[in-house]
Amino acid sequence: MSDTPADNAPPTVGNGWQPLPPRALNLFVLANILGFGMIALVAMVPIGLLMPTRSLALTAALIELVALPLFGVWLARKQYRYTRWKLDADGFALRRGNLLRSETRVPASRVQHLDLKHGPLERRYKLATLVVHTAGTRNSAVSVTGLDEADAETLRDRLAHQIDDDDDA
Amino acid sequence: MTTPEPMPAQGASPERRLHPLSWLFVLIKQLKQFIVPLIALFFFGRGDRNELWPLIGVGVLALASVWQYFTYRYRIDGDRLVVRSGLLHRSLRQIPFARIHNVALHQSLLHRIFGVAEVRLESAGGEKPEAQMRVLKLSDAMALEALLRRRGAAAADVAGAEAADEQGELLLQLPLAEVLRLGLISNRGLIVVGGAVAASSQFSPRLIPNLFESAGKMLFGYAGSHHFGPAEYALAGLSLVLGFIALMRLFSMLLALLQYFGFRLVRQGRRLTVERGLLTKLRTSVPRRRIQAWTLREGIVHRLLKRRTLQIDTAVAGKQDDTRGMGELAPVATPPACDALLQHLLPRARWPLADWSGLHRDAWLRLWLPGIAFAFALSAILFWRLGMWGALGLLWLPWAAFVARQHARRAGYAVNDEVVAVREGWWSRHWRFAEIDKLQALRLTRSPLDRRFGMATVHLDTAGAGAMAPPLRIRYLPDAEANALYERLARDVARRPLRW
Repeated sequence: MSDTPADNAPPTVGNGWQPLPPRALNLFVLANILGFGMIALVAMVPIGLLMPTRSLALTAALIELVALPLFGVWLARKQYRYTRWKLDADGFALRRGNLLRSETRVPASRVQHLDLKHGPLERRYKLATLVVHTAGTRNSAVSVTGLDEADAETLRDRLAHQIDDDDDA
Repeated sequence: MTTPEPMPAQGASPERRLHPLSWLFVLIKQLKQFIVPLIALFFFGRGDRNELWPLIGVGVLALASVWQYFTYRYRIDGDRLVVRSGLLHRSLRQIPFARIHNVALHQSLLHRIFGVAEVRLESAGGEKPEAQMRVLKLSDAMALEALLRRRGAAAADVAGAEAADEQGELLLQLPLAEVLRLGLISNRGLIVVGGAVAASSQFSPRLIPNLFESAGKMLFGYAGSHHFGPAEYALAGLSLVLGFIALMRLFSMLLALLQYFGFRLVRQGRRLTVERGLLTKLRTSVPRRRIQAWTLREGIVHRLLKRRTLQIDTAVAGKQDDTRGMGELAPVATPPACDALLQHLLPRARWPLADWSGLHRDAWLRLWLPGIAFAFALSAILFWRLGMWGALGLLWLPWAAFVARQHARRAGYAVNDEVVAVREGWWSRHWRFAEIDKLQALRLTRSPLDRRFGMATVHLDTAGAGAMAPPLRIRYLPDAEANALYERLARDVARRPLRW
């Protein structure tokens, strides 16, 4: 990506778009270090098998053992920074990603049920994961990690409240 | 829940049971899996006796099905079906008629001989059908289906203005010639051949390779003894390919005959019913408003024969691998007939839609990109193997550009108050559309490439979209237009209550 100032500036917070709490960054970083650390460990096997000399293999292994988790940290900062959510009269919306940007919207009338999850790491930072389920096929579960616990509960209650209003069958 | 509480006093019918021979059909179904090893054992005499061990399992299953016959009862209780089963571990399942999405009646040849049928009731979601009754007396099954049709309609619409007449209105019927056309269009023949290969390798793993070897030897021996020129070889190859294609089509037509003979699409009040099948008869019915999305397809053979296929998605789980669900409203029909069907079933959509908007002006460039990458990869490989002649691989570039242009020219979308539709494809075209009421979630995406072009893609999600159905997404729209469309649809969907 081109590193123009406009790209590096954090996205606008206006229009009801909420950022994740700063505590969530720790969670993103930890999760990514764990994830990429695992990949780095697994990648040592092909490195050991493919590299012609032992010294070359050791260098490559060292490099990737450092580089992959670092990449994870960098990615975590990006992920954290570009995740925004919004709750308005129409429903729930989630923005994600800078390189591959996506915005998902689940109208309140389409929410089927909601899950609130607290993993051990999340409990430590008073965070929660909200999963919004719809009856759809491809985007049937929209999941937001790293929400503030209180925010997540408000979201759940407000979205769940709207389900009661329109059960017609 | 607005559905009233069950009132046993009103409209309760006596409990009914499965057909007394139901255990036999369960047993036969189970035995089918063992028939191949059994025959192999019997005729070829190879393999150890271990292959017989599963028969003990079959025996247990037979006992279980007899047990089930004695413990399985159902009754109609007001607006719901109550199924009671089990003796030690008892279960009582209540299925409100209004929640049943799909009723399928299945009658194999064996079922027909005994005058019985299998009934399956499906509601949205879940892994398994809500109730599967194997098997009921045909008259019982028909009575149950008719009752569901009537009560389901009455329960779903409190107004109940439209009383379902028993006869119904015939919307589409396929005469024999159309069924054969359908066979010509479909590729079902490949499935038959695949199945035959799989089955024969069950009997004898060497059968297929041996066949190929001897056929090859014969052909090449023949060719070796006569000294043919390249023209003769080309001719022989061509006729072999043509023969294979003809054989495939023949199989397809046979299969279409078996599956679609006597196809009838009938509308009874608010339900659509499809009947089809030559030996195995199928009858499925779905309320009209349970249809989630529609797909109109037109391949090359379709166009040659001036036909189209109209398919629907219904929100019933696990139907992808199942031929029993209602997947096709019109397996094959002329374009005007398809349009008429849609006008009848989706009157407010005003099909065929008038205002189609195109994609981004440069969409064809974006569509060309994979072709460019492929052309360079191709010529790199060719260059490595053949030297300068590899540059011929670059000829792929103009061809890919042409294809991309054709795609971009024909792709488009249309939105009105009722439906959102997308059309794609050049050789093989499709139109996919859904009522705005039926949309579940929306997603707007931009990849870095898209951003360079100033494009975005709108994805729309509906319930029950099959794995084979094309996605309902509008690709490569100008940024602002995509945003506006996304916002508009999100607002519209939010305002409309979910009715599915």
